[in-house]
Amino acid sequence: MPAASLVQRLGAAGAVRRGIVGWIVPALLAPALALPWLVGDFYVRLAIEAFLLGALALSVDILLGFAGLLSLGQAMYFGLSAYLTALCYLHVTQSFWLVALIVAFAVALVAAVLGAVAIRAKGVYFALITFGAAEIAGKIVHNTRALGGSDGLLGIPVPAIALPGFDLPLRSNLVFYYVVLAVVVLVYLAVNRILATPFGSVLSAIRDNASRVPYLGYNPFWYKFFAYLLAAEVAAAGGLFYPLLRGFVGPDLFGFEISTQSVVMALVGGVGTLIGPLVGGVVITFLQSVLGSYTERHLFVLGIIFILFVRFLPGGLFSLLRGASARGRAP
Amino acid sequence: MIAVRGLCKSFGGLRAVADLDFVAREGGVTSIIGPNGAGKSTVFNLIAGTMRADAGRVELGGRDITGLPPQRLARLGIARSFQISNLFFGLSALENVRLAAQAHAPRRDFLARLDRADALVARARATLAEFGLVDLAGEPAANLSHGDQRRLEIALCMASQPRVLMLDEPTQGMSPAETLAVDALIRSLAGRVSVIVIEHDIDLVMSISDRVIVLHQGRKLFEGTPAEVSGSSAVRDAYLGAGHGAA
Repeated sequence: MPAASLVQRLGAAGAVRRGIVGWIVPALLAPALALPWLVGDFYVRLAIEAFLLGALALSVDILLGFAGLLSLGQAMYFGLSAYLTALCYLHVTQSFWLVALIVAFAVALVAAVLGAVAIRAKGVYFALITFGAAEIAGKIVHNTRALGGSDGLLGIPVPAIALPGFDLPLRSNLVFYYVVLAVVVLVYLAVNRILATPFGSVLSAIRDNASRVPYLGYNPFWYKFFAYLLAAEVAAAGGLFYPLLRGFVGPDLFGFEISTQSVVMALVGGVGTLIGPLVGGVVITFLQSVLGSYTERHLFVLGIIFILFVRFLPGGLFSLLRGASARGRAP
Repeated sequence: MIAVRGLCKSFGGLRAVADLDFVAREGGVTSIIGPNGAGKSTVFNLIAGTMRADAGRVELGGRDITGLPPQRLARLGIARSFQISNLFFGLSALENVRLAAQAHAPRRDFLARLDRADALVARARATLAEFGLVDLAGEPAANLSHGDQRRLEIALCMASQPRVLMLDEPTQGMSPAETLAVDALIRSLAGRVSVIVIEHDIDLVMSISDRVIVLHQGRKLFEGTPAEVSGSSAVRDAYLGAGHGAA
């Protein structure tokens, strides 16, 4: 019961989203565009990592903020995508587009099978199934020699993205940064568009009162199923670039630590806002990096942040903007 | 038209509904009354797909709809309300009604931009206006008064333009004035839809119904016009018996 009420409490904050005005995205984009000219390479690469983990948090938000499903295993799709990407670049092809296609297809397949099982479970059981599946996937990778075992896969080549007329060399930090920024912005816009539809509104209805939804003529299963697929693909979009940033992948990419961290990111930014989790991703990633230089116990701090937000600011940072946006909203 | 034939449902050893037959006429108002525990809500749950019957059939316009899930039944035109207001409390009154209306919009509109779905919003607003709720369109359903929530519950049902409207104690917890308003409302809906009502307010039942079905311990005790029901000694005994707690 406490777990269910937590989900409801976090999900209810999704109502905030409708109040957020259009200026916030451009306002965030300006400093993001300027960043590589203002700071050194270390912070540019940290920002790339923040955006990729932010995409994972966005993926959590599709489920939590819209369908009311708390996934504690969303890192599985991040890890799956990262490993597949690494394997493809190491052994199959250097074509970015082909790899992206393979990853998208494989992730859809896995998500369709696991999703069909997981979304039949309610409340805390959904969380447990997603958690368990991610742990199993992580253990399988950890124990498979062909996948590098506990060492992971090393020496992943960094390709260039072939575009009509020219190539984008991801070896360059500057190019890599802008490519990832563009991908994250496009993913955000696409998800935002997909959820600003009757489809999205039925998800909100499921979050609000799932048992009433069938009596309107909707089968909740399919709505949750497609939300689950969409969330998996968004997580995979983050995982697609991660091996190129790090040059290696390890089994901890599937882990509970990354899954829960992405939930905290979504919560800190604002569940149900879509843009909030990206902001939360940046805030938490930078915070972890700074804390990491002082203490080994940064997970402890993450836990405290989680508790403080759930207790005092369940709508996340973006709920602070609600007052301002309510005044600016069209009648 | 809804026809129920030989409907049975037991919970463990308890026969909640036993061999029930009745017909709810097209465009009429059929009321189901009976003491607490008579099986009224179970009948609703069996017709609307909330529960599966042990035996018997439910037909909608001659078509067998027994055992279909609620979403299929809703698409076939059966809309039900709930005894305790069952709304999307975090969503606005308008969004509540729009969700019901859009379920019957063409499927290709499902990824259309909602902020441009003017026809859908216009329809939802018209439904709200019909139920006197248009001034509250932007309010979260949770903020509505009890009476307004009860009316929104009916509006939610009617927004899908159903063939059969099933109301489970629509005046539950309402003031006498609000009950009168619901009386007028249900009369105005009759003719457009077939209405089946579970209701405890006997005055309301007598006023709105064409046909009254009296349930007692899961069985049909009596069926007739309101006048016939009030003249029946069997009905009086059942109510008095229940009233004195002698079951």
